[in-house]
Amino acid sequence: MVNSRMVVFLIAVAILVTVLMVIAAYSLRRVRRSSQRDWEGLLKRLTAVDRGSIAEVALDIIDESGQQRRDETSATLDPAEIWKLVGGLEGLEALEANCAVLIDLAFYVQQWYPEALAVAEQLRLSAREIEWHVERLRGAQKTGKLESAFPMYAQRAVATYYLMTRRVLALYERGNLAMLADLEKAL
Amino acid sequence: MHLTGLDHLFWAAGLGAHLILLFVLLTRRRFRVFPIFTAFIISNIGRTAALFSVQFYGTKTSYFYTYWSLTVLDVVLQLSVVYEMYSLTFRPLGVWARDLRRPFVWLVALSIALAAGLTWLATPHARLWMQVVVIKGSFFSATCMSELFVGMLVLAVRSGLPWKTHVARISQGFGVYSIIDVLIEAGHSYFGVGRNTQTYTMLSHLRMSAYLACVAYWVIMLWRNAPEPRKLPESLRGQLIRLQNVVDSDLERIRVRKSW
Repeated sequence: MVNSRMVVFLIAVAILVTVLMVIAAYSLRRVRRSSQRDWEGLLKRLTAVDRGSIAEVALDIIDESGQQRRDETSATLDPAEIWKLVGGLEGLEALEANCAVLIDLAFYVQQWYPEALAVAEQLRLSAREIEWHVERLRGAQKTGKLESAFPMYAQRAVATYYLMTRRVLALYERGNLAMLADLEKAL
Repeated sequence: MHLTGLDHLFWAAGLGAHLILLFVLLTRRRFRVFPIFTAFIISNIGRTAALFSVQFYGTKTSYFYTYWSLTVLDVVLQLSVVYEMYSLTFRPLGVWARDLRRPFVWLVALSIALAAGLTWLATPHARLWMQVVVIKGSFFSATCMSELFVGMLVLAVRSGLPWKTHVARISQGFGVYSIIDVLIEAGHSYFGVGRNTQTYTMLSHLRMSAYLACVAYWVIMLWRNAPEPRKLPESLRGQLIRLQNVVDSDLERIRVRKSW
């Protein structure tokens, strides 16, 4: 005679094993895809964002070189404008997606060029941090704290994303890599 | 303990498979990258030989103590292999990736809690308390191992850290075997060990078959070489370094506002 505790045990084991197998299969599929991806494949994953708006938000507080602006016309955008220019939640999702591509770029370099491990790992960590900041922006937006708690922070994070994408473009440009035009469109 | 011809066959097959794997690890120089995994395989060979000798020439008591001492060693080495695989994946620059320290703590805590909870739920029927300990201990160990290997896979994907070829193969083998083992140990808990040990023995043979398949997979995968790394163009290297420098300096500006 099977007691009720044993029935709960068997159900719990079945759930655990199913969940583990689904997670493992999903993750292995992603690993396989990442391993097979080439530069072109990476570019296809980039989500188009309104570069003009992102630049407007960023250049409100920094100049093209990334230095803080201290002139009278700097930091004039209000939180609502920043949010509108970023494109709301959808805009943030696009930024997040593109951060994931930057992480994949580091993955690609680590996988195929192990000699560049150090710099690729640093790049990955930086992209992860930007991703984390964007996640926090999304979280604050959902709880209605965006306007009151960190308008400046939001702008900084967007500015950092902007600068990072500029640098990625510069990397391709200087590297004379073929897909620069596609990348410029996407970022 | 009465052993059948099939038991002897599994014993011999296990010893042979481990010897072949050890041969591969030594001749292909994999032991340099995976010293703990190699130690785990050597300990399995020693364990099989020791238990076989004690079974034939020793007493019941000496078999009991040998079995338990070697089981403890086996669990410790399995956990050490998990550490080795994590270390080879998540310490790309010799230190643990800083974005993964908190997820590690959560993963280990969650794995232990889940495994402990499930083990507590199990109420295997057995004649001796020691049999209950063996069944529960094996279930706990299998559950922890399966969670840790799947967790490792998830962390690698989420963080964007590549799994090196042989690390991936060893981990996949362990992961698949551990998941099968969870089911088998759950079966042991469900059926228990009564006077008739037929079901218990059949499940044990099933577990051994799964493990032998896993060892065969390791033999093939560790014999093969990993894909050759590509040569990084000098211009790309310089630009990657510059890119990272500026990104890092950009990040400094927003890090100061992390406190809100």
